[in-house]
This record gives sequence, C-alpha cells and structure tokens, in this order.
Amino acid sequence: MKIKIIIASIVIVIALVFGAISFVETNVEYTDFRSAITSHKKVQVKGKLVIEKESYFDYTKAQFVFYLKDDKGQEEKVIFDGAKPNNFELAEAVVVKGRYQDGYFHATDILTKCPSKYEADANTVKKSL
Amino acid sequence: MIGVILVKVAFVAVLISTGAYYFSFRKNSIESLSIARYAYHFTAALIMLFSALLMYFILTHQFQYSYVWNYSSSDLPTPLLISTFYAGQEGSFSLWALYTAITGIVLMQYASKKGYESTVMFVWSLVLTFLLLMLIVKNPFTYIWDTFPNDLIHTGIIPPGVTNFVWLDQAKGIWAQFPAEGKGLNPLLQNYWMVIHPQILFIGFTSMAVPYTFALAGLLRKDYQSWVKVAKPWTVFGSAVLGTGIILGGYWAYETLGWGGYWGWDPVENSSLIPWLVSVASIHTMMAQRRSGTFVRTNFVLSILCFIMVLYSTFLTRSGVLGDTSVHSFVDPGMWAYWLLLGVMTLFGMYGFGLLLFRMKEMPKVPVEHSIYSREFALFLGAFTICFAAVFITIGTSSPIITNILKGKAAAVDTSFYVKTTLPLGIVIALLAGIGQLLWWRTSNMKDLMKNLTYPTISSVVFTIGLIIFGVRDSVIVLFSFASSFALFVNLMVGYRVFKGNPKYAGGAIAHIGIALLFLGFVSSAKYDDKQTVTLQQGKPVEILHGYTLTYLGNHALDEERYGFNVKVQYANEVYNVMPVMRYSSFTNGMMRHPDILNMYTKDFYVTPLSVESPDDTKGKSYAFNKGETKDIDGMKVTFVDFDFNDEEKGKMVTEGDVTIGVIFNVKHDDIEETVTPQFKRTSSGPNYVSAKLANNAVEFSIVKLQPNREDKSQSKVEISIANHGNTDDTPKVESLVVEASIKPYINLVWMGTITLVVGFVLTIIRRVQEAKEKD
Repeated sequence: MKIKIIIASIVIVIALVFGAISFVETNVEYTDFRSAITSHKKVQVKGKLVIEKESYFDYTKAQFVFYLKDDKGQEEKVIFDGAKPNNFELAEAVVVKGRYQDGYFHATDILTKCPSKYEADANTVKKSL
Repeated sequence: MIGVILVKVAFVAVLISTGAYYFSFRKNSIESLSIARYAYHFTAALIMLFSALLMYFILTHQFQYSYVWNYSSSDLPTPLLISTFYAGQEGSFSLWALYTAITGIVLMQYASKKGYESTVMFVWSLVLTFLLLMLIVKNPFTYIWDTFPNDLIHTGIIPPGVTNFVWLDQAKGIWAQFPAEGKGLNPLLQNYWMVIHPQILFIGFTSMAVPYTFALAGLLRKDYQSWVKVAKPWTVFGSAVLGTGIILGGYWAYETLGWGGYWGWDPVENSSLIPWLVSVASIHTMMAQRRSGTFVRTNFVLSILCFIMVLYSTFLTRSGVLGDTSVHSFVDPGMWAYWLLLGVMTLFGMYGFGLLLFRMKEMPKVPVEHSIYSREFALFLGAFTICFAAVFITIGTSSPIITNILKGKAAAVDTSFYVKTTLPLGIVIALLAGIGQLLWWRTSNMKDLMKNLTYPTISSVVFTIGLIIFGVRDSVIVLFSFASSFALFVNLMVGYRVFKGNPKYAGGAIAHIGIALLFLGFVSSAKYDDKQTVTLQQGKPVEILHGYTLTYLGNHALDEERYGFNVKVQYANEVYNVMPVMRYSSFTNGMMRHPDILNMYTKDFYVTPLSVESPDDTKGKSYAFNKGETKDIDGMKVTFVDFDFNDEEKGKMVTEGDVTIGVIFNVKHDDIEETVTPQFKRTSSGPNYVSAKLANNAVEFSIVKLQPNREDKSQSKVEISIANHGNTDDTPKVESLVVEASIKPYINLVWMGTITLVVGFVLTIIRRVQEAKEKD
C-alpha cells in the first residue's frame, strides 16, 4: 500500500511540475515594446493606434500593417497576419499578441477594446428615441 | 414592476421551500414536507410565470424594459426573437432558473420514490435560491429609464411629438421617455444555432447540479453507498447533454463564425468543458462503486465538484474577472454580481466539502479487494487522468487570475499550453479506454487478457506504421494516434461481442469508440491542417495547397449588409463553387466574415474571406496630416499647407449652398517643388471629391477626410490618399479577393466520433434508468 502511495505521489508531482513549466513557458506576458524588443518572447502589448501614420492591408501578403504607440509612448510598426479587425478605428485601445522580430512587431492576434458599453448604450438610446 | 415582484416572491417562496425541506428531514415531519412541496411548486409556477412574462415583453417589443431594448428589435424573425430571451446575462440566468425549477419537479417525483426527497430537494431548493438571488441583483425587468436616468427621465411639459413616454409622477411632472426600437441582436448570434445551442448548454448546467444534490443527500443521511445508484442516470444524462452542447458550440464556431476551427481553447469553451470532464470522470468511478463499493470518497468529491466547477465557470465568464484577456468580450456586470458569484461558489463548495470532511471519520473503510489488473483500478486511473486534464484546463483558463495574484498583471496562457498538457494525458486516457474494457472486475486472468489484446494490438501497430509511412513524424502524435487506434480496435471488438449478446449493454463500448474516433479526428484536423492566404484577382486562376485552383468570379449583394463572393474551386478534375460571405454590420460597426466549406469524405476545404480590394479603393495609402506637418512619402516631401476656401464660399458654408474646400499641399520631389490642391465639393446632389495630380501625372492626391478646426486653425487635420501610378506593378486593375483557404483532413471523424459518443451515452442512460428502477 505504501509503495502505491509513493508511486502515485511521484506521478502527481511530475505532472504538476510539467504543468507549472508549461504554464510559465506559455504565459503570454503583458508588457511594453521596450521589453518585447529585448526578450523576443511571445508577449502582448497594449497601446493606441497611431492615426497619423499609415495603416493599410497589404493584399500581396495578406497582412494588416499599422503603427501602435504603447502606454510608455514608444511607437512600433505592427504587422498582423490577417485582415483589419472589427471595430479597429473605434477601439479605445488595441492589444497585440506576438513577438518582435526584424524591426517590427509580428502580431498573431489582435484584440480591440471598445469604449464602455454603458456609454455606448446611453448614446444609442438617445438616438433611438 | 410586476416582473420584479414575481422574482422577489419566488425568492421568498424558495426560501420557505428550502427551510421546510430541511425541517422535514431533521424532524421527519410530514407537515413540513407538504409545506415544502407546496412552496416548491409555487416557486416553480412563479418562475414559469415571470419567464412567460419576459417572453411576452420580448414578443410584443416592450422597449421600456432595458433587457428587451438591449437584445431585441422589432425586425427579428420569431425564432430569433425567442432566442433573445437568453441573449444577455439576466435572461440566461432566467433560463437557467426556469430549467432548474422544471427539473426540480421531475427530481422531486424521482427522489420521493427513492426515499430521498427531503434531503435532495433541500439542496436543490438551495441551488434555486442562488439563481433567484442572482435574478434579484440582475433583474431582466428593469425599466430602461432606471438604467439611463440622466438621459430618459425628464421634468416638466412633454414636448409635442413624443409618443413613447410614461408618467413617473404626474403630480410633480416627472416623466420618462423610452425608445421606439430596440438595439437588436448581435448579428454574430443571428443564426439558427443561437436557437438551440444555449438551451442545450443550460440543460447541461442544470443537470450538473443533480449529482451534487445526491452526494449531499448521501452525506446528510449518512448513506455512503446507495445514493450512487440513484444519482448515476442523472450524471450520465447531464454529461451527455453538456457534451452535446459543447460540440454543437464547436460546430457553430466552425461552420458559421469562421473561427477556422471547432475549438479555440477560449475561456467560454473551456468553462463548459471542465465540468463535463469532471462528470465523465465521476461516471467511471460511480460505476466502480456500484460494482465493488470502492471509491466512496472519490465519488463524493467528484459529484460535489461537478456543480462547483459549473459555478466556477459561471464566475469566470460572467463576473468580468477575465477582463481583457479573451476574444469574447465579457461585459462587466458590476461588483454585486462578482461578489455574489464568488460568494455562492465558496458557500456551495464549503458546504459540500465541509460536510464531507465532517463525515469522513465515520465512513466505513471499504477494504481494497481489487488487484492492479482489475477493471476497478483501470476505471480509477482513467478518472484520475481525466481529472488531471480538468485541473490543467482550469489552471490555464484561470491564468489571468493566477498571474494577477502572483505578479500583479493579468496574462493569459497561449493556447499551446492546453495542447501541451492534455496531449500526454490523452495518450493515457486512450490506452486505458482500451485496456479497461478487457479487464475483469476484481482481477483478471492474464492468459485471457493477452489473448484479447492480440488482435487490437496488431491492428493498431499496423495502423500506426501506416501513419508513419504516410508522413506522421512527431513522436507524441505517433503515440497519441497509436493509443487512440488501440482504443478504437479494442472497443470495436468488445462492442461487437457485447452487441451480439445484448445490445442494451453496448453503450460503454460505443461511447469509447466515439472517443477514439474523436481523438483521431483531433490529430488529423488540427495537427495536419494546411492553410494558405491568397489574393485572387478576379478571373485569374491561382493554384494553392497542392492541387486546388481557385478563381474569383465576382461578388453580389445578398441583402443590404451581406455580400457573397463566388469562388470556383477546381480540384482533381472536379469543379465546385463556394461562396463565403462578408457582412458589414452596422450593429457592431465591423466586418463579419462567414466561411464556406466544401465537404468531402476525407477532408473539408475551408474558405474564409479576409478582405476585398476593389480598384477604386486601392488608389493609394492613407495618410493623416496636421496643419503645417511634412511627411516623407515615396521619396517626396509632402506638406499640408492650408485649407483653401475663398471668402465668398466661406459665407455659403453657413447657408448650406454648394461649397468647395481645397486642401493645399506643397510637394517637393526630384528637385522640383509644386503645389497640388485636391478638393471637396458639397453640392445639392451630395459630396464629391476631386483629386489632383502632380505635373508628371503619376501621383494622385485625393481627400479622405477633412477635419478643419475653426477656433484654432493650427489644430486642423486632413486625411488624404496618395496613389503612385508610376509604380503600378503591385496595384491590381481589377477587383481582388483575399481569402484564407485551409484543408482539414478527416474532420468528419470529429463529427462521427461525437455522434457515436452521444449514441453510447443514450444507450447507457436507458440502461441505468432501468437499473435504477429495479428494487435492491
């Protein structure tokens, strides 16, 4: 019986350690462009779209290109594999997930954060009176 | 108002029912039992009544209710209108309460026959209390003027023309206005799946509470064995329904939402998968306990966890705790809902596990009589592994909370975390799903076991070698495929034998065949999918993905918002047509992309539209200028000098006549300096943009957006588009469609596996119900 418990504990410990390592490895950290450039790890960066700079869909590569300014004010070119996300211009903030390479941030995911629903709803309700 | 009252009365009634059931159990009192029954039925009737009322308000477009206004509109077809009942939080809690109330009536009959009524219904009423409490906090009958008091409540005289109003206090002249039209349903949800999928999920959630109530009833009554037999058919039922709901959601995402796959490890998906895994694990250990009386504590723990994980999932997805880390937008429901959900989960958890700890000492120890080569042990290991998968998925889904506590910054794990951690567990699960079926209760005869193992092992080795020859190289995937095919062959063999004897008993084997097919389908469709993004110029065939030739034929409007894009697909001498759809939704102010799928026996060809580039809007790239700003563009120095409106027209601006505004740009290129003035004209027939070209005729400037600032001219902005026709190589003259095309090999295995699994579940339910009917 004791051997069983020991074996079971070892299995559980191995599984937990494996889980913890995977967790740390795959955790996509929230950070800024400065540390994204140095770490080369997959990270996510929150920022604002730089409307003064170009943003376009490169249809030859099917990539969406734009400039993002992070919370610390650093501006970087972002290339996203895919089309322009919904609500892109309306977003209060844009979160890009990916890694920095070859002089630009290569995003595999984009989340757009929209203005508070309450405010948006209050405006809609006024319009629909 | 009446709705709010009904919810509150229902809450009081369910409290009475809870108390009376508890009293009837403690004091064994017949009177309080009958009070409890009346109170419960009364609660259920009230819940049905207010649900009907909400449905009536939705069907009759009563936009003075916030909820109705928020999720529906008068132009929705009836089935979708009905589905707006559960489009939001308040409504989905109502639906959950409704199903719980109705299930409770059936459960009452069932439990009463088994002699469990007072304890089971006491816990059940407690669950219903939580749901009604939630509805008091998030009430679907809130008036819209209570949601937006600043905008809708007025004092004084009602202006003429205002028809949608009510007097709040006529003596004081306070009145409220309400909208004539609702916001409508999010177009992403405007789909027949919306009518069926959430309902199934909520029935699943409701049934997950049944094992919990029976486990607690067992603990309260100090009955540690027979509750399992009574609870088992319900656990299997809940598991079957929740499982069906999960996979239907996956199919919805795959077929209409255009997520590219059926599973994205999104918190919303995970949060229903976790309780499902726990319930599947508990089915296995319940089976072992029914047979040999072992795993008494395990079954209590798992049955309690089934419901706690449902509550935890609800907390994760409905409290706003995951915030910004998911694709799904979680509307922040406010602190009340957050603490209530957290509190309720803690209370139900503490009550369940506390009672279990309290009873632990007096639970009779069941001596272990099975060897390692017994079915009991295999069942236990299987359940244990499934639970581990649930633990990993829970950790992954909760990662924003964990990292927030540890590092102060919320960050989600990448989806690769789930694949990495569950894949090895999947191998163990698949192997056990095979071996377990060949083992006997108590202990197995080694000779028979070896004999039975021969054919399945040979078949799966041959199958795996075939896969390796075919090109599967990843060692974990090879192992996973071997284990899955082993499970498949064993269960085919066992299933065939059992089916010949008594088809009723084949449920287990059939369900495991389903799981094995699902596993194989996961590998082929997710690991070996192949995708490519391609730009298709209209009329020009392009070959992609080894042998698929796509030709974009053109688009046509399907309705005001939706456009269909006709694409001809030539593959292996066959010609097919697909029509992915893009929709510009005025509701979300964004583009929605619907894939089209070419279903073949061995694979799906999946086409998602990404973007359409018409020659008109490929004129150039857009640039925004502040006044006086200079930009380097394609070797030119471009400066936004000023707006050009002559004085006469300045006057017209106000009187709404024809207006012409020019934007003066100074351009320096190739040692030349010149001025271009693209114009914006407002005429009675609408706005008109006039572009301007440089002297060399190659570069064209056109206005995109004007933002003149009259107070502070230096704050004026303009957005222009600059197209260089001298360098036209990359500018298509015709319309092009950008699509992402992918091949999902053998994805039909996933759907086949699901159907087989559900058939297995149904057979098992029938058998367990019959078993539960038998007297001990």
